[in-house]
Amino acid sequence: MIRFIAADLRRLWLGAVVVVLLVALATALGVTVTLQERALRLGSARAADKFDLVIGAAGSETQLVLSSIFLQPAPLPLMPGEVLAKLSKDPRVAWAAPVGFGDSFAGYPLVGTTRALIGSTVSGFAEGRMFEKEGEAVVGAAVKLPVGAEVKPMHGTAQMGGETHAGVVYHVTGKLPPTGTPWDRAILVPIQAVWHVHGLGHDHGHEEEEEHHQGEAQVTQAAAATDEHGHTPLEAAREHAEDHQHEGEAAAAGRPDEDHDHHGGIDADAVIDENFAADAPGLPAVLVKPKTIADAYKLRQEYRNGNTLAVFPGEVLTGLYATLGDAKMVLSAVAAGSQGLVAAALVLVTVTHIGQRRRQIGALRAFGAPRLSVFAIVWLELFLLVALGIGLGFLTGLAAARLIANAFTVKSGIVLPVGFTGEDLRLALILLAASAVLSAVPAILAYRQSPAAALRA
Amino acid sequence: MLELAVDGLAVAFPGLDAPVLVVEHLALRPSEHVAVTGGSGSGKSTFINVITGLERPTSGKVLWSGKDITRLSETARDRWRAEHVGLVMQDFHLFPGLSAVENVLLPARLARVADKALIARAHDLLNGVGLSRPDQKIETMSRGEMQRVAIARAVLRKPGVIVADEPTASLDVEAGETVGRLLLDMATETKSMLIVVSHDQRLIDRLDRRITLRAGRIVADSFREEVAA
Repeated sequence: MIRFIAADLRRLWLGAVVVVLLVALATALGVTVTLQERALRLGSARAADKFDLVIGAAGSETQLVLSSIFLQPAPLPLMPGEVLAKLSKDPRVAWAAPVGFGDSFAGYPLVGTTRALIGSTVSGFAEGRMFEKEGEAVVGAAVKLPVGAEVKPMHGTAQMGGETHAGVVYHVTGKLPPTGTPWDRAILVPIQAVWHVHGLGHDHGHEEEEEHHQGEAQVTQAAAATDEHGHTPLEAAREHAEDHQHEGEAAAAGRPDEDHDHHGGIDADAVIDENFAADAPGLPAVLVKPKTIADAYKLRQEYRNGNTLAVFPGEVLTGLYATLGDAKMVLSAVAAGSQGLVAAALVLVTVTHIGQRRRQIGALRAFGAPRLSVFAIVWLELFLLVALGIGLGFLTGLAAARLIANAFTVKSGIVLPVGFTGEDLRLALILLAASAVLSAVPAILAYRQSPAAALRA
Repeated sequence: MLELAVDGLAVAFPGLDAPVLVVEHLALRPSEHVAVTGGSGSGKSTFINVITGLERPTSGKVLWSGKDITRLSETARDRWRAEHVGLVMQDFHLFPGLSAVENVLLPARLARVADKALIARAHDLLNGVGLSRPDQKIETMSRGEMQRVAIARAVLRKPGVIVADEPTASLDVEAGETVGRLLLDMATETKSMLIVVSHDQRLIDRLDRRITLRAGRIVADSFREEVAA
């Protein structure tokens, strides 16, 4: 029987290949969606794992988490420096580290932070050592810069048409081991250097104004990008501008547009001061490690007031996952729809095919093949093809999800763990069961066919 | 060794006024070689289908050595036919993609009765019908060779009756001659009854008995001696 089926499939190889490919594609679509969504959830959860509590200025919780933990380049509103000072002295806080963004180098974001944060989130260095002076930098595992390389930061990003900060150079002193988070793609510099590059923290008297100036500089930047690249949507710049008007209430102070070239440089050999006083410059976000879970909840409660926002990244992610889940549902429905279409098409094709082979099936019966054998031949032939397609589909789906995940990792630094779980096994079994039932449709037709009538046809 | 007795047989189809086949009584002796002739629509195919159990008559009995196959279930009739009937058809019904010997063995294999002895017999039979390459793919054979493979398939299980439906109609004279001779030889060798539906006068002339059908009824039933006389 197997030989008969093999001979049959060899003869109809083109049709067989098409059936297998169709089934494989439809299966792969669903599998990719499932795998990708799961990987995205797991990967982002792992990336946020190290950070218990994020405190920033009042605004969007999602944006705060996306910018501070996933290092997504977007302007954040600033909160007063005294928040950091207060947190640093709080007995419930194990460590509190400010993060500052805005600059980039060779496509990698520059993140100003502290040694406390680096020391307590990664274990040791893959190479080199921690930054000790204002002009030194530590790079993440995915940054393609050797220890000793020079980093000349650029304001904003290259895509936004940023300009290089004149005369500012960091030297890479160490490379961190991989963490599978966006921080693998970051160049970490002392926060103090970031302030100094942007002319903050020197002149404490104008702290307030400078803080808003930074915000405006970003608006200017966005607007400039629109001018330079005609294709950049003007709306984006407008949105940025509006955001800032909403966020910075003091923006009404109305600083005139100025070129940010007047920004200060850094003193490369200056010692790093990480004891933040109340007059520290404004900050987009502070990452906080509370001592206990109870402390975490108390701190979150305390810093959720009109001016500041405290969030558990996990909580914000859960909210995002809900959205992600909705998107997945839509995509899954599309995938299921395509699977249904393929299934319907297959039934149609095989029923037609059985019709064309009536004589052959009738002859088999006439020569004495038992009806059950005829049923088994037709059923097995189709089921084998569909099962093969499903198998191929799972492999294709896995490969596609891996490819997407890799591309995502290169872009964001977040490692997405793509892999099969018991849930997928269940899906595979359900699909196989469904195809077993579907294959029975033409098989039953063949089984019920009268051999005499078939031969006469 | 099988003998056939047909009694009060009628086959009618709904929507048709007259039955397509009516046989009041017919008896065929074991090992008899019978030709069935008649124009198209005379009921030849229906006759073949009914006596081989492919089709159930509207009424009447088909007794093969006393066993009424019209009372068997479809599955049982399939099994009976596989065991007792060797079919040879005008257009062979061989299965492309399989070799000659695989085609000979296919029905037996599907019925799970192909043992070593039967496989050996399949090779012997192919040899006997003059085919020296049992592994040759069926689609690479000439029509005459194909019909010879079909004959080998029909006699594989030493059936009590060999039924051939226009076995030479799609062959040239020479190949038809060979096929006709083979059919007779094989039937004689296995002592099978041979029923041949044919228009091929040369083939008909070699058979013992000739039954002529017209409009679903037997209008002539003669033996060779009489024909010759």
